[in-house]
Amino acid sequence: MDLSQALLLFIVLAPGVVFSVISLLWLVGWVPKERVLSATTGIVFAASIFALAAISWNVGAAPVVIKFRDWFAVGQYDFPLVLMADRLSVPFLGMTVVLSGLIGQFSATYLHRDGGFLRFYLLLHLFAFGSLLAFAAASFDLLIGGWEVVGITSVLLIAFFQQRPAPVENALRVFTIYRASDIGLLLVVFAMHQWAGTASFAGRFPQLTGAQAAVAGLLLLFAAAGKAAQIPFSGWLPRAMEGPTPSSAIFYGGISIHAGPYLLLRAQPLLAHSGMASALVIVIGVLTAIHGTIVGRATADAKTSLAYASLTQVGVIFVEIGIGWTWVAVIHTVGHATGRTLQFLRAPSMLHDYHQMHSAAGGELAPTGKHLDSLFPERFQLWLYRWALDRGHLDTVLDRLVVDPLVRLSRVFAKLDGIAFGDIRSRREEAAISLQAGSGVRGD
Amino acid sequence: MGKGSGLIDIRQARLRESVDHAAHLLPIQGPIGVFVHHNTLHAFQHLPFEEAVIESARIFNAEPYMSEAAYRAELARGRIHLEDIDAVLKSEPDAMVFPRLSRRSLRRALITPGIREFDAATVMWRAEQGDLARDFRQPALHALFAACFARTVAHEQETEPARPVDEVIHPWLIRLCAVFLDQGIAYWPMPQREAGFYRSVRKLLSQRGGIFPRYLTGLDEEFRRQDCLSFSAFDAVLEYLDSQHFGQADWDKILQTELLALPGWAGLMRRLEMDPSLAPHKSLPCSLMDFLAVRLTMTRIASGRGAAEPDPQESALKTEEKLRLSRTARVYDAARVVSLSAGEVEMLSGGEWAAFVSEVKACNGWERRRILHLAYERWHERQVLAGLASNRKYGGLSEIAARPAAQLFFCIDEREESMRRALEEVDPELETFSAAGFYGVAVNYKGIDDPHGAAFCPVTVKPQHVVLEQPKAEDNALLERRRLRRRLLGRLMQNSFVSSRTLLRGWLSTATLGLLSAIPLIGQLLAPRRYAQIRERLNKAFLPEPQTELAFMRNTPQSQEAVAGLLVGFAAAEKAEIVAGILGPAGLKRGFARIVVVLGHGSTSLNNPHESAHDCGACGGRRGGPNARLFAAMANRPEVRQELSQRGIEIPDDVWFIGGYHDSCSDDLELYDLERLPGGHRMDLERVRDSLENARARNAHERARRFERCPSDASPAAALRHVEGRSEHLAEPRPEYGHCTNAFCVIGRRSLTRGLFLDRRAFLASYDGNQDSDDRSLAQVLAAVVPVCAGISLEYYFSFVDNYRYGCGTKLPHNITGLMGVMDGHASDLRTGLPWQMVEIHEPVRALFVVETTPERLTRVIAASTTLDELVKNRWVRFATIDPASGQVHVRRDSGFEEFDGPVERLPVAFSSPEWYQGKLEHLPMCRIETQAAGR
Repeated sequence: MDLSQALLLFIVLAPGVVFSVISLLWLVGWVPKERVLSATTGIVFAASIFALAAISWNVGAAPVVIKFRDWFAVGQYDFPLVLMADRLSVPFLGMTVVLSGLIGQFSATYLHRDGGFLRFYLLLHLFAFGSLLAFAAASFDLLIGGWEVVGITSVLLIAFFQQRPAPVENALRVFTIYRASDIGLLLVVFAMHQWAGTASFAGRFPQLTGAQAAVAGLLLLFAAAGKAAQIPFSGWLPRAMEGPTPSSAIFYGGISIHAGPYLLLRAQPLLAHSGMASALVIVIGVLTAIHGTIVGRATADAKTSLAYASLTQVGVIFVEIGIGWTWVAVIHTVGHATGRTLQFLRAPSMLHDYHQMHSAAGGELAPTGKHLDSLFPERFQLWLYRWALDRGHLDTVLDRLVVDPLVRLSRVFAKLDGIAFGDIRSRREEAAISLQAGSGVRGD
Repeated sequence: MGKGSGLIDIRQARLRESVDHAAHLLPIQGPIGVFVHHNTLHAFQHLPFEEAVIESARIFNAEPYMSEAAYRAELARGRIHLEDIDAVLKSEPDAMVFPRLSRRSLRRALITPGIREFDAATVMWRAEQGDLARDFRQPALHALFAACFARTVAHEQETEPARPVDEVIHPWLIRLCAVFLDQGIAYWPMPQREAGFYRSVRKLLSQRGGIFPRYLTGLDEEFRRQDCLSFSAFDAVLEYLDSQHFGQADWDKILQTELLALPGWAGLMRRLEMDPSLAPHKSLPCSLMDFLAVRLTMTRIASGRGAAEPDPQESALKTEEKLRLSRTARVYDAARVVSLSAGEVEMLSGGEWAAFVSEVKACNGWERRRILHLAYERWHERQVLAGLASNRKYGGLSEIAARPAAQLFFCIDEREESMRRALEEVDPELETFSAAGFYGVAVNYKGIDDPHGAAFCPVTVKPQHVVLEQPKAEDNALLERRRLRRRLLGRLMQNSFVSSRTLLRGWLSTATLGLLSAIPLIGQLLAPRRYAQIRERLNKAFLPEPQTELAFMRNTPQSQEAVAGLLVGFAAAEKAEIVAGILGPAGLKRGFARIVVVLGHGSTSLNNPHESAHDCGACGGRRGGPNARLFAAMANRPEVRQELSQRGIEIPDDVWFIGGYHDSCSDDLELYDLERLPGGHRMDLERVRDSLENARARNAHERARRFERCPSDASPAAALRHVEGRSEHLAEPRPEYGHCTNAFCVIGRRSLTRGLFLDRRAFLASYDGNQDSDDRSLAQVLAAVVPVCAGISLEYYFSFVDNYRYGCGTKLPHNITGLMGVMDGHASDLRTGLPWQMVEIHEPVRALFVVETTPERLTRVIAASTTLDELVKNRWVRFATIDPASGQVHVRRDSGFEEFDGPVERLPVAFSSPEWYQGKLEHLPMCRIETQAAGR
């Protein structure tokens, strides 16, 4: 293993190791001090930033690839453990280590004295490990691992304030959407193994025929759209604003929401192969961007408004990917992630900023939203506003078409269950109570 | 027509009454940009404190006191003393429960050793494998439980069922309220909102082609129907009440429940209905009736569709059994601590047993916590009174003999206590005073950068005068340039704000400029203080700063006319009145130093929606710099001094007043209008400035002891850098601890408290009872000080004891909405009250006012004011007096003033404040700081 391989391995594993060591120590009863946690975080990510800078010099000419032995092999199938840093993954890896480091720095102050301090840092490291693994994986098999870790940490941080019901409910909703859309990614792996014999893209992308590429492309789009909150999944994004501000920033302004575009960028050769898949990526992107910008204009709270602003730009990035402007998409992603993270972190300043703007303008700000008046007739304005207010009806439709029927079905089963076993169970429980109370009391 | 409309009018009037009745329970916090502290339970102020907290706890499902566990922890660490518990019990009526047991001894046992709490949800588990199961291993206890169980039959419902309709309608209602009230976050304002909440929502939701969730389908049709019948909000509400067959007698209760389901939003609607000018940018036609009309229409549709049916619960029998068990467990535990045996329980007559059970029930968790709380406050009271009495008795240092080097006025704010002490430690020849921080200058003030004027005075006062800050004549051009450039900056900010959120402009800006935001991102996170300094410097370089003066004179006939209902400036007599109103009560009528500094205060912090809550309460939640500056300018006018000398206040010609501003977060100090200072005063100014410079670092150092993130061995200079960094830190949820430490208030001469380490816990108001024969000054001071301090103390109390209901919970998930308030996450009620980070180190005690006067004089003054009388009579505040002549201390109890009989011992002595507090995090007892002794 040469130096740059060692450095790449360090970058990917370091947060994972920090997570494992600290959580194991916690399991045996050690609770680290806040300073220890934040210092460790600072050191690890600072080191990762330098390490990444060191290996990215030469990545353009020769990607850094580390090949381990297969994790396991069953018949035709083998699970290759291969990490790779190439021109595409380095910007994403860089974004992850820099933003995670900054968020670690921010949170040391922000979460000071909060009961969930340790939990937050553990999840931050786990998340960083997940995204680094996803961005450095050289096969879809391995990418899924990172992808899932990002998903679960995202859900756990939305439910960070677990004493209140709302965060937990919303986290559960996000979790469900993630799981549903992850099916796309799983199926792609099956399909690629079936068709090309491998899902690894180290060196050369698996070769598929046009039709196969279209199917695989659509499946990937499904997965990417779920993670990036594209249409029709967009409804979960505002719900994800329940967590502490820094986690909203790094997930939905910074990294997690751009994992979707990364997946599609990775599959660029595949999309290039299938006009249909590319076209659909563009369509989803356009729809999402329009959806995001319209809904975002009618939201009155700081974080939701930022969430929809994020959504809009990620939609645009999808379009860029569909067209095939890989480098535009990458630059856009990195710029957007940085700017949006800052905006999310500054969200509690909105009062202050607005006040400043207002007084600088002499008490009268240029009115916004006037072209709504001038472009559309009144009836349509009202309709459009109503549409925006319900966030494009996305969640309402999802509820009515999927959630409600499922709930009703489960009620039916519950009733059946009750008919079959209910009476017996409740009679037995009641008997147990009187027995227990009686015996406990009479004390013989 | 006549009869019908008469009936309708009567019904409407009755409905309005019901709504008003329910509305008084809503929080009265206005838009968060101007935060004014007030009693969270203002609606219950007509009740005695101890009744009010219980009543309110029932209505809001909140906590009246700290948890019993918290009091037990205080008992364990010696903050609550057994003798205080006994004293509290002794002050309350006793009776015999049954021959062997008195109520007092029963209560004493219920508190120490104490009993456990039981509830139906956990009692089974506890009986099977928890603490009860452990008890049962002792045969005697097992038998006792059995005996109690055999005699326990009754049960009662413990919890109210949830309201599932709320889950369906709240997401909609919250979003509608948010866009309706929005002051500028949304790019598109809600269409037609000028028509009011009910009409605009009706219009919006009756659009065809919308999709509703299952439980709300048909809402559009319903709104269309109401539209066709051209309903008013009244009609909609009345129709709902009729459709549910509620008689008028039920209205109060129904409407109260409906309004309290989302108290934050309903409260803000109400607040803006009462005073539309509170809206920071756009005033809207708000009405609680509108809110109810929308809410009830939604409720009706949702419950009609079956949303109100709760999910199936466990069987009734099971619940009943658990209730019986938990009730048994409570009585059993009481019997256990008073050492009743199973046999004795069985021997009790029916009446005796019933008496025992009802006594135990009467002394439930709330009651035990009440007693513990009174004991908790009583110890605090003893400490404060003994400390003050001791300082008066043994404190060597009294008045300064010679002419003081300078005199400084501060706000009564307890955060300035350490600043004053630090100054006096730095330069013992300084004399300090205090008065409510608007310095009597109730004014509508407009600075050169402000688009509109704003009231700089307590919220209860409506300013009659307006004062403008103007550039000096020669700087007019500079101001013009400043305005133009600010406008440019403003437009730039607005553009970048909007463009980053839209589609096409957002694409250009994020793809190209996005990476540039790495500079502020990294700068603000890694070097916040340095970054702020650089930005400040750039700002200064770009924006010219004209020298300004205040247009506060009212000498010309034109300016004497009222402008928009306000008078421009003050006439000479009015100015003199204001100055006398501060100097008189403080007893500063002669013996002026050559320089008198008057400091207002406020607080600057970043990324903090609750920033204004740290500003000056006496200035109505604003920064008090302008008030201090105006006061000083007034006191410097020759005609004012002439007027004053007729009132017995002699200000010699060589005295100069300087206004200033103290930032309680960054400990910045700024003195105004120094270019006007007479040449001969330069040296005096230098001396004051040096002392202030020195004192603010010491003040920062003392504040930093509470901040775990500041190293405990930091030097004053390093501590100053630390607090400066705090006020500029993007991630800092507690830029300062605000009023967190407030606990009592001393109204009297500084000699009472000079040299006393009060740990930033005391509001201090200067008042000299010896120069106030008719008690007019006392009435003036009490009226200015007591309501403000009581508001602060009670808001902190309630936000601390139930941070979730009365406060607004942790700051970390807060989300600014509509520039009006904060929500938890993306859709919650508007959160009112104080966040946990602001109150976490608070000691919840009612403010104890110690006034340097006699009980008789104080009683007279209080009785003359209904506001004060209500607060005092109902014990929302505590009162004590120190006789100005004899030093005797009296404390007010239920029956009236009693002489304080606690031991008065010498206080511990330290040579400087740091010596006393260094390295300690917790609240500290009083001590004497004797710098002189160190010098000698």
